[in-house]
Amino acid sequence: MKFVIVILLSLLILPALCAAQESDLAAEVRELRAKLERLEKKMADEEAQKTKKTEAERAAITEQVKKDVMTDVAAKGQSYFGKLIEQTKVGAYGSMRYGTSNLDDLHNTFTFRRFVMTVDSPIYERLKAYMELEFERFTSLELDKKLTRTAGGGLTSEVAIEGTAKSEISMEQAWMQYDITDWLKFRGGAVLVPLGRFNINHDDNRWDLPRRSLVDKGTPVLPTTAAWPELGAGFLGDIPIGNTGKLSYQAYVMNGVALNSEIEQIGQTRAGDTTKLAYEVKLQPSRGTFSDDVKKGKAIGTRWAYSPGLGDEIGASVYWGRYTPDFLPNKPVFSFAIDGKKTWGPFEIEGQYVNTQWSGVRGVARGLAQRAISSSSEAEIGDVETEVEFELANLASRKQGYWLDFRYHFWPDFLSNTIFGKHFHNPQLIATFRAEQVWFSELLNSVAFTGGALTDFRTANRLLNRFTLGFTYRPVPLVALQLAYEYTRTNRGKSLSSVTNFLPARDGEYFQNAVLMGLTFGF
Amino acid sequence: MNILGKWLCLIWLIYSLGSPLLASAQEGIFLKEEEATKAVFPDATSFLRKVIPSNDELKDKIKQRMGKTLTSLWEDSYVTFVAKKGETILGYAVIVEEIGKHRPITFIVGVGSDHKIKDAALMVYREAYGGEVRDRRFLQQYKGKQLKDPLLPYRDIQNISGATMSVEAIGRGSKKALALVETVYLEGTERK
Repeated sequence: MKFVIVILLSLLILPALCAAQESDLAAEVRELRAKLERLEKKMADEEAQKTKKTEAERAAITEQVKKDVMTDVAAKGQSYFGKLIEQTKVGAYGSMRYGTSNLDDLHNTFTFRRFVMTVDSPIYERLKAYMELEFERFTSLELDKKLTRTAGGGLTSEVAIEGTAKSEISMEQAWMQYDITDWLKFRGGAVLVPLGRFNINHDDNRWDLPRRSLVDKGTPVLPTTAAWPELGAGFLGDIPIGNTGKLSYQAYVMNGVALNSEIEQIGQTRAGDTTKLAYEVKLQPSRGTFSDDVKKGKAIGTRWAYSPGLGDEIGASVYWGRYTPDFLPNKPVFSFAIDGKKTWGPFEIEGQYVNTQWSGVRGVARGLAQRAISSSSEAEIGDVETEVEFELANLASRKQGYWLDFRYHFWPDFLSNTIFGKHFHNPQLIATFRAEQVWFSELLNSVAFTGGALTDFRTANRLLNRFTLGFTYRPVPLVALQLAYEYTRTNRGKSLSSVTNFLPARDGEYFQNAVLMGLTFGF
Repeated sequence: MNILGKWLCLIWLIYSLGSPLLASAQEGIFLKEEEATKAVFPDATSFLRKVIPSNDELKDKIKQRMGKTLTSLWEDSYVTFVAKKGETILGYAVIVEEIGKHRPITFIVGVGSDHKIKDAALMVYREAYGGEVRDRRFLQQYKGKQLKDPLLPYRDIQNISGATMSVEAIGRGSKKALALVETVYLEGTERK
């Protein structure tokens, strides 16, 4: 019976169970389909995003490549000149001073000694150029000229020059150098003559006294004043010797120093006398021309220096060349110099001796007489006297002299927290004593000639001494504030003006006491 | 043969004979990286090159160590080397740059584990004047110097007349290298 009941119940329940199972399956299928659809949608979205991203990346890469190509093209376009301009550096150095003197005609004055612009550029591998342009006491120069009709017929030509006293614009250096190797470099152009150590290291801000040395500038014993460039070409280099030694040399062939004319035009009114119009033509040694040379012979100059160790050097140099223009007898000038420097920690001794011999000065004067006929010609018309004068100047059969600097660098600690020290990393005080002497043998005093013959030729032996005591403050290496006392003296009773080119001493003013305050800078 | 011809022949002859020496004069580039490391650590058998990127924190630490000395330029990163002989560290070398008068001077400074300069060598010099700072006789003054030393002309360094700006630049760069090595490699080790 039980068995029958179970069978019957099973027959009744089973269809119901089957129906329920069928319904669950359908739901599951629907759910799976929905999931599948969501998955497909998600994948499609992701695919779309991926495509979008790839396109964006591709666009960015294309843009970058475009940029790179443009930059590359631009860089190639300006690589040479752009680099050249970028690497070319402009610098300068300059100096001014305030000076007082006991000489009657020398006022207490500020003087802007010079402003020198420097440019250096590496043109290419191993090739470089350097230039220095000097403005000495220069403020302005104005030129005016016009050609107009003269009222009532004719033409009028007018030239007006307006300048400032003792002004000069000068090319101090302009050369190109080819570094073949350390011991052989070719240099050509306006080069500094390697005679002594001052001329080749003449930048004002390198020195601690506010006035240049007598043998280089104030007298000078060099064939002409420093800075002394000549147009020429030659070689220079450094050769190491042992562990610490070095031999340096410079050797050039140049146009060289020549007698050149300086024309001075003087208009003078005189109490109780005629008005004077004078032209003074002064022939004196000057740096050689940068144009056609006035003589056939070329000059040679060379300096060899041996440095056994850092801070120590001894040098010897020679200059030789014809100094007379072709219309005068062929005469040479010969100079030699010995210079050196020795350092013991903060103490330095540096010096230079120069000896210059001008050959045949009398013969040159005679030659000038034959060419110029008369040293002085004058005529008087009405109230105006006109005079033309020829003069031979700054020559001596021999000039020799030296300068010797003793320097001591120091910095007291108590100044480090004052305005002198607190803003600077390594300020310096330098005490300097300089001794200088110059001897002139047969220094030309006066020359006169008439009718082509020498009528007067007077020379004198002279001596010039100077001692300078200086004190310098350098907040940074390129800037110096200087204070100095100078005592200059020549032979008793003689004038300092006849042996220097910067002291307007009257007759009998044979010594000078001067106090100088200088400022020099570089950048 | 005219004079010009003779001169040209002479230049050509000297150029040909001197060719092995010519590399030393190329546009002021005196040492390449691999030569520079050997110049300051000649006994090293290997060099591990590491570029240290610069950041404000590193600059501050270097500044602090340099004291009153101010650098004229900050590098974006520092090329450094760990010099080894076998497995032993001989020291550390850093390539630094400092402005001379107008242009940067690039040089390498080798520093020992004792915080002292082992040697320095000039790699690139770009100024028109003052190239004497490259001479061994000048650079050997820096051997044994450390951060507490002034590294200044007329103090503990022999000056080169006319190249004072470059001399000061080498001093600043050496201090920067010492400060960097102490910060990066020798932090916490004791100065001798």
